[in-house]
Amino acid sequence: MTHFTRRDVFRMSAGGIAVASGMVAMPSILRAATYPSRPINVIVPFATGGYNDRLSRAFMPYLEQELGQPLVIVNKPGAGTQLGNSYALNQPADGYSILCTSAAPYIPLTVLLQNAPYKVDDFTMINLPSRDYTLAATSSGGPVKSFAEVIEKLKKDPSSLSIGVQPASADYANMVLAFQAAGIDPSKLRIVTYDGGGPARNATAGAQVDVGFVGGEGFLPLKSKIRPLAIFAAETVDWYPDAPLIGASGLKTDFVEGSQRGWAVTTKLKNEHPDIFKTLVMATEKASKNPKAIETLKLQELATTWYGPEASNKAYLDNAAKMAKYVDLLK
Amino acid sequence: MIDISAFQEALGIMFSSVGSWGWIVPGLIIGLVFAAIPGISITMAMAIVLPMSLYMDFFSAIVFLTSVYTGAGFGGSVPAILMNIPGTPSSFATTFDGYAMSQKGEHNEALGYALFASTLCGIFGYVLLLLVLEPLADIVLRIGPLEMFAVAIWGMLLLGSLGSTYISRGLLAAALGILLGTVGMNTAGFTRGTLGIPQLLDGIAPIPAMIGLLAASQLLGLAGRDYIIEADGARDVSLRKILKGCWGTLKYPGVLLRGSVIGIVIGAVPGVGSSIGNLISYAETKRTAKDSASFGKGNPKGVIAAESAVASGEGGSMATMLALGIPGGGATAILIAAFMMHNIVPGPSFIETQKPMAYAIILNNMVQAVVLLVVGIGFIYAATNVMKVRTRYVLPAILVIATLGTYAVTGEVSGPITLFVFAMLGFALNRYQYPVPAVVVGILLGRMLETEFLRSYQLSAGHPLYILERPGAMAIFVIMFASLAMTAWGKRKQNRAEAAEARAMEKLRDEAAANAAHTTPSKG
Repeated sequence: MTHFTRRDVFRMSAGGIAVASGMVAMPSILRAATYPSRPINVIVPFATGGYNDRLSRAFMPYLEQELGQPLVIVNKPGAGTQLGNSYALNQPADGYSILCTSAAPYIPLTVLLQNAPYKVDDFTMINLPSRDYTLAATSSGGPVKSFAEVIEKLKKDPSSLSIGVQPASADYANMVLAFQAAGIDPSKLRIVTYDGGGPARNATAGAQVDVGFVGGEGFLPLKSKIRPLAIFAAETVDWYPDAPLIGASGLKTDFVEGSQRGWAVTTKLKNEHPDIFKTLVMATEKASKNPKAIETLKLQELATTWYGPEASNKAYLDNAAKMAKYVDLLK
Repeated sequence: MIDISAFQEALGIMFSSVGSWGWIVPGLIIGLVFAAIPGISITMAMAIVLPMSLYMDFFSAIVFLTSVYTGAGFGGSVPAILMNIPGTPSSFATTFDGYAMSQKGEHNEALGYALFASTLCGIFGYVLLLLVLEPLADIVLRIGPLEMFAVAIWGMLLLGSLGSTYISRGLLAAALGILLGTVGMNTAGFTRGTLGIPQLLDGIAPIPAMIGLLAASQLLGLAGRDYIIEADGARDVSLRKILKGCWGTLKYPGVLLRGSVIGIVIGAVPGVGSSIGNLISYAETKRTAKDSASFGKGNPKGVIAAESAVASGEGGSMATMLALGIPGGGATAILIAAFMMHNIVPGPSFIETQKPMAYAIILNNMVQAVVLLVVGIGFIYAATNVMKVRTRYVLPAILVIATLGTYAVTGEVSGPITLFVFAMLGFALNRYQYPVPAVVVGILLGRMLETEFLRSYQLSAGHPLYILERPGAMAIFVIMFASLAMTAWGKRKQNRAEAAEARAMEKLRDEAAANAAHTTPSKG
C-alpha cells in the first residue's frame, strides 16, 4: 500500500511540477540541460511478471546509471495494452514518462481491431531489443514429426488435427497465411482459441491441441515438453537454433513478426523536445552496450541487442503496415 | 516419489541459511494485514513487496515472498468472518458460515477454526507436494478444457446450496452473475457488453464488483446498529475461545482432508487459482454433511471446508510453478518473476538440476505454516477488537479503505466506479430478496464456464462423443453425479427415517395418552 500511495504522490507532484514549469515557460534548452532532474516513470502496459515487466526491472539499474535519476515502474495492464498506451499519451511530453512495451503486435492490434483512439505513429521507438517469432509446435510425445506432415494431414482432412492459437494475433495471421499458401481452407480447420500465449503454450505442451501456433520465446522454459515444427522467421533465431525455419518446410508464405519488445516514447516528445529524445536514446544505447547489463539480462533470457531508433522504428512501422495489409485475417 | 539424498541436501540448505528464516514473521504479518484489507488481493500484496525482495539473496527472497503468500491466504478470512466482506476472492466461501458465527457471538471460535484449518491444510498440502511434485506437474498439463468445464459446473452446483426463499430469484441472480462474468472480449475474440468502454474489454474487475455487492448491503445493514454484534457480552475478545476453535478443528478430519484434496488439485491447474477451490470444497462439504440445513447459519464445518481449500491450494499452485514454470494464479506469477530476477528459471530443468532447492522451498513453507499459527493467533487477537468499536467509526473507515483498495486493483478510477455501481446493484438485490452470493458465484465462474465450454466445442468440432476420449472429464462428471445421487438418496433415507421416527413417536404419544386417559380415573 505504502508503495502505491507514494507513487501516487509522485505522480501528483509530477503533474504539479509540469504545470508550474509550463507557466514559467522555461526555454526548452534550459530544461533539456537539466533533464532529467527527477525520477522517470516507466510505463509497462502489462501486469507484473510478464516479459516487459521483467525486462524493465532487470534493465532499470543500468539505465538509471546512465540517466542519473531513479526509474519508477508503473504497471498499467488491460485491454491489450490500450489502457497503458492511452495513459502514456495522456502524460505531459516532458520525458518523464517512457514506455517499456511489446510495441508489435499490440499497438497496431489495438488500432486495427479495437479502434483505439491513437495512431500507430503516435509512438516512436528508442530500441526494440527483443524480437519474437511465431512458433508452430507440438507436444514432445505427439505423433506429428514435422511441419510438412501437418500440411499433408490437413490437406487430406482439414479437421484431422486441432490447432491452438490466440485469435486476433500475429500468430493467427501467420497460421492462416501458411495454410492458405498450402491450399488448405482455414475455415474448415478445428481451431481452438486461447486468450493468452501462456494458456496456448500449456495446451500445446500438454497435448490438448495437436499443433499450437504461439510466440516462441515463451516456450523456452517448456522446451523439453515440446517439439518445434516451424518458426516464422527469415533467418535462424539465435535463442532457438533447433527450431526449423518455415522456409525449410518447402512452403512459400509471407509472415508477420510475432513481437517486437523494448523501449518507446510518444512521438510528441520526439517532435517537441528532440534534445530530450536524444538524451534518452544515448542513455539507452550506453546501458544496452554495458557488458554487465548484457551478462545479467542474458542469464534471465532477456534481450539487450542495440538496433537503435532508426532500425527499430522501421521494423515497427513495417510490421504495422504488414498487419494492416492482413487485417482481414486478424478479424 | 521423494528423492532422499536431495531431501537431505534440502535440509542442509534450510539450516545453513537460518538467517533467511528471519523473513518469515515479517512476511506473514505483511500478508495478513494486506489480505485483511478488502480490495488488496494476495497478488497485489506480493507485487508490492516484490521490489524489496530484489535486495535479498535468492533463498531469503523466496522465503519472504512465500511467507507473504501464506499469511495472505489466511488474512482474507478475518474480515470475511468479522464483517462478511471477503478480504480476497479466495475467502468468499468463508463468509457463508463465518459471519453467521460472528453474529452469534462466536467470532473468536470462527477465527480459531479458520486459522487451524489453514495451518493444518497448508502443511498437508506441502507434504503432498513433496511427494508428488513431478507426477502432479505432468498430470496438470493433461487437464484440458472439458475437464475444466466439468470443474466449473461443479462449482455452479454451489448455487443449489446457497438457498434463498425463492428458487426462481436464485436462478435469475445466478444467470445475471454469469452474464456479468462474460462481459468483455471472450477467448475467440468477440467483444460483448462493454458499452464501448475500453476498461471493460478485459471484463468487469471481479474484486471491486465483489466488494461492492457484498459490502454495500452489509454496511447499509450495519449502519442502523451501534456495534457489529448487538449483544453486549458477545463482543469479548478471548484467547481461550480462539484456542477452543483451533482445537475444535481437529474434530473434523474428513472435512479437512476433502478440502485439502480439492484445494490442491484445483490450485494446481494453471489459470484457475484458489478463488474456485473454496467454493467447491464448501459446496461438497455441505452436500455430504448430515446437518446440511445448519450450513450458512454458523456451522463451523463451513468455515473449515472453505479455509482448508484455500490453504492447500497454495501448495498446489506452487507445484505447477516449480515443476513447469507456469503460474497457477496471480501470486505464483509474481513468484516466478522473483525467481527470474534472481536469474533462476523455474520449470522442468529447475527440478532436474536444483531439486534440493525446490525441496528446501517446500520445507520452508511447512515451517511458515507452523509459525502462522502463532502469528495468526496474535493477529486475530488484535483484529477482533474491531468488534468493540462503534459502527459509526468502523463503517466509514472500511468504506474508505475498500474504495482505496479498489482503486489499487485497477490503478485508476474505474475500480471505485465499479464498486459504486455494484454497491447499488447489491442494495437493490437485497431489497428485493435476490441472493447476492449467487451473483458473485456467477461473476467468479461465468468466464471460466464460457471459455472452457467454447474450447471443448472447438476441439470436438461439435461432436458430443468427444467426451469418450476424455476419461478424466468422464471421471469428474461420474463422481459429481454419483455424489449428487448419493446425497439425494441419503436425504431420502434420512427423511424416511425421520418420518418413521415421527410416526413411532406419535404412536407412543397416542398410547401414552390413551394409557393416561385409562389410568387417570382410577387414580382419582
